[in-house]
Amino acid sequence: MAVASARSFLLTSIGKKYLMGLTGLIWAGFVFAHMAGNMLIFVGADAYNKYGHFLTSGYFIYVAEAVLVLSLLVHVGCAISLTIENRAARPTRYAVTPNGSKGVTLASMTMAFHGSIILVFIITHLITFKFGTYYETTVDGVVMRDLHRLMIEVFQNPTYVFWYVISLVLLGFHLSHGVGSIFQSLGLRNDRTAPTIQKASCLYGVVVAAGFLSQPIYVFFFAG
Amino acid sequence: MSQKLDSQVPSGDISEKWTKHKFNMKLVNPANKRKHTIIVVGTGLAGASAAASLGELGYNVKAFCVHESPRRAHSVAAQGGINAAKNYKNDGDSVYRLFYDTVKGGDFRAREANVHRLAEISTSIIDQCVAQGVPFAREYGGLLSNRSFGGAQVSRTFYARGQTGQQLLIGAYQAMMRQVDRKQVELFTRREMLDLVIVEGKARGIVVRNLLSGAIESYSADSVILATGGYSNVFFLSTNAMACAVTAAWRAHKKGAFFANPCFTQIHPTCIPVAGEMQSKLTLMSESLRNDGRVWVPKTAGDKRHPSQIPDNERDYYLERVYPSFGNLAPRDIASRQAKFAVDSGRGVGPTGVAVYLDFRDAINRLGKKAISERYGNLFQMYAKITGEDPYEVPMRMFPAPHYTMGGLWVDYNLMSTVPGLFVAGEANFSDHGANRLGASALMQGLADGYFVLPYTIGNYLANTKTDKLETSHDAFKGAENAVKSEISKLMNIKGNRSVDSFHKELGRTMWEYCGMSRSAEGLKKALGDISKLREEFWTNVRVPGDASYVNPELEKACRVADFLEQGELMCQDALERNESCGGHFREEYQTPDNEAKRDDENFCHVAAWEFQGVGKKAQLHKEELKFENVKLSTRSYK
Amino acid sequence: MAGTSQKKLNLKLKVWRQKSNKDQGSFVEINAEGVSEDASFLEMLDQVNESLIKKGDDPIAFDHDCREGICGSCGFMINGNAHGPQKGTTVCQLHMRAFKDGDSIVLEPWRATAFPVIKDLMVNRSAFDRIISAGGFISVDTGNAPDANGLPVPKPDADEAFANATCIGCGACVASCKNASAMLFTSAKVSHLALLPQGQVEKTERVLRMVAQMDSEGFGSCTSTGACSAACPKEIKLTSIARMNRELLAATLNKKEAVEGDGV
Repeated sequence: MAVASARSFLLTSIGKKYLMGLTGLIWAGFVFAHMAGNMLIFVGADAYNKYGHFLTSGYFIYVAEAVLVLSLLVHVGCAISLTIENRAARPTRYAVTPNGSKGVTLASMTMAFHGSIILVFIITHLITFKFGTYYETTVDGVVMRDLHRLMIEVFQNPTYVFWYVISLVLLGFHLSHGVGSIFQSLGLRNDRTAPTIQKASCLYGVVVAAGFLSQPIYVFFFAG
Repeated sequence: MSQKLDSQVPSGDISEKWTKHKFNMKLVNPANKRKHTIIVVGTGLAGASAAASLGELGYNVKAFCVHESPRRAHSVAAQGGINAAKNYKNDGDSVYRLFYDTVKGGDFRAREANVHRLAEISTSIIDQCVAQGVPFAREYGGLLSNRSFGGAQVSRTFYARGQTGQQLLIGAYQAMMRQVDRKQVELFTRREMLDLVIVEGKARGIVVRNLLSGAIESYSADSVILATGGYSNVFFLSTNAMACAVTAAWRAHKKGAFFANPCFTQIHPTCIPVAGEMQSKLTLMSESLRNDGRVWVPKTAGDKRHPSQIPDNERDYYLERVYPSFGNLAPRDIASRQAKFAVDSGRGVGPTGVAVYLDFRDAINRLGKKAISERYGNLFQMYAKITGEDPYEVPMRMFPAPHYTMGGLWVDYNLMSTVPGLFVAGEANFSDHGANRLGASALMQGLADGYFVLPYTIGNYLANTKTDKLETSHDAFKGAENAVKSEISKLMNIKGNRSVDSFHKELGRTMWEYCGMSRSAEGLKKALGDISKLREEFWTNVRVPGDASYVNPELEKACRVADFLEQGELMCQDALERNESCGGHFREEYQTPDNEAKRDDENFCHVAAWEFQGVGKKAQLHKEELKFENVKLSTRSYK
Repeated sequence: MAGTSQKKLNLKLKVWRQKSNKDQGSFVEINAEGVSEDASFLEMLDQVNESLIKKGDDPIAFDHDCREGICGSCGFMINGNAHGPQKGTTVCQLHMRAFKDGDSIVLEPWRATAFPVIKDLMVNRSAFDRIISAGGFISVDTGNAPDANGLPVPKPDADEAFANATCIGCGACVASCKNASAMLFTSAKVSHLALLPQGQVEKTERVLRMVAQMDSEGFGSCTSTGACSAACPKEIKLTSIARMNRELLAATLNKKEAVEGDGV
């Protein structure tokens, strides 16, 4: 594929959807892994901190971060560009919105809204944790960052927990439509797989959101 | 035989006429083709296929339609299928048999040579459409599927579920849009032709109203093709779309094109019956339903029991009883007439008593609901939506309704009208169906004319005719424009008390009553008087709201109804003149003891072509004698 | 049973009235009285128009023609739904028995930048024709076709192609999409032709050109809400869009140029 045709492909509305889908796929995978890793909370502070230390040692973290940041920028960039185009394509709203058997899921109609909230959440989340207070601890003789302590502290704050809960519910919502939509945008959906993809997508959103939510709720109510 | 009517039928054996004629016709060389402009009015099957084919040949084509898109032409609504003598079923079909069936089905009032050509071309149409990607129904082996249709004992009908017309039209539309892309065809949508412009005795252009801007526009060309469909809407309630009108053909008629056999109208036997006063149109249910559905009424008059409570021995499956060899697949004119007889005898069903049953109970028992749904699913769905009844459970109620008009502008073998340079294709011409059209033959004729006849005969005309360049500033265009403008301002300024629709409905009732399924001299005379009075009132009491300089659907309707009010009179005149019964034309005075149509070949084996003499004046009749050299004139029997 | 019900409905219509593309439009309340349950929705509007004409008012303009759900002329929003509440139904097939006495009904034209309003409920959908003319065809000149049965097509493919070819081009997909996307319309044509062996030769060129044309008409993009398919009177499936996405990627990867100058 020549560069020119790749470029013209990516500039079509469908091309941008491919980019949205691919970058969305990366993030969908990331949030799942992130959620699963965080489950170490339930194992104990040392396990949690060791896991964090393991991830941040070596070059892997830089590559991963670069991919994630780049994906996010592309995802958000395409989203903004497509939203502007879409608003221009339909500047006038209807007095009544589609309903009944012709209605559609709330999640699918509000992707830009929860997408934006999630973006804000990602930024605040990074500020709170990645760039937050640096406590140190020693596990098995190795000095490492005590993220567990920071987390316990943060999750004592009801305002933060509330914001966290809201954002993660929206993330679940975003995924419940987004994951299925990836298959659609990448052309991988067909009549046979469509119903399964639909269900899997919802399940994915619920699992990721529930997994993440279990952590602050557990900390707030039981581990204070 | 009239001096003015030369059918131009080539000599020789019937099966060689078209081949010989094609060779004898003059050609336009490729470099010269691009110097010619051809106007095509109408973008249904005939119009779109003609525009596409002429564009492919290199002519400059200007295509006009009243719709916002050519894909909306009413050919789109044809359901059942398209005939072709492919003999894929090995059931004894052949070009000759299709020819024979069509001549006989038309009750010996069509021109043999035209019909034979149609049968010959039929096979190429299927090839062409499949190559274009028309998704015809197929068997599991991947080959094309066929079904049988009324008036035939072989399975030669190709179909795409109940949407054959749509699929064929989309094929033709796409072929035309390809030429639009190549700039060979220029598309003019939302334009209604309101006059034909004749210069030095030749058709050289048209005047149209731009339905969006209200502007009156002129277009010139070397030749004009009308593919503007039929005039069933003269009955107001018909299966035709709301915009179907005689206007373009009628305006051409007023400029000198003869109108042939206007009284040959087809009343389709299976339509959803009228339900109320505000009904705006009738919906046809494909004839293919009669493959599996059985038509019946109760044996006793006034039997108001629910159909499921009427046992078999108290049902009269009248088509099977009267026509044992064709049964429920008797041709349309006959099936319609029998339905009328059943209702007239007080045995009609449903709340209005003006309907007969079309019952799928036995077919569902025999083949299962799934098989029936596969064949007719969308039709059943359509019926359920309109009536609120489930045809899988309750038999459909049906009644005949105006559907197709065999009559139309007179054309010769080359499809040229009596105005040189004016060609007429598809339902708009009179040529191939005689007094009754067989099912699945309209699509065949439209496409035959457009794809395979006009591209040859127009070339021949252009090669033989000198046409100078003509600007639309020519006096002939200015005159026509002014006439159209003054007619429109006249309509706008009447400011009377009645809506256009109220006139149309009244005309329709008169036509249905006196010039519908059965006609009598007495009734027709009354109709002539009534129509003339109604027309007078129209021109003094119609109300056209809004203004003429922008979108104005009421004005569009007014122009069309004005023409129907003149054309309806000609239909009655023609029906009155034709003292015989044949095909769809049933004169009560002329019937056999068992109520079948009684033809009079001695006196009426001709095409009646009418020459316009002025509004309200009796048109002049010209006759084209019909000779049957291949199919012997005989009494048509489906018993 | 149809025709038996003598029930008449009185309805409150809130209709979008707009004189022309240049004028501002607004909702106008009009009462529809004594409407038969057996009437179709458009017949109800005929009745309203008849009374408007009698009063000397301008009748409501709306596109319509075949009135049996196949020409694709009619279509507007009824209480927020393209073609009204019933699935797989065009406005002309919608009957008044779907409504109750006293209902208020909001009527709005299709709204999309690519479908400018002409008058009242009429819009200009010519963008669809331009998308088709940008490759929505198989290039076969009249008279060149091989025997129709020379090219068997597996029945499932033929059926699927047919399902996509049933699109009537009414624009409900665009109208109901929050982004006014024409993906369902375009993908139905791409699918129809891509599923058939006859359509293979031009499939690369076709999808590239049609998508480019679609984008240039000012339609939005697909966010997979499924509103289009839910509103489609011919129930064309959302998976057609996935197919088009696939076709576009494949076309981009496979695009080849014909050699110029050899008469092509």
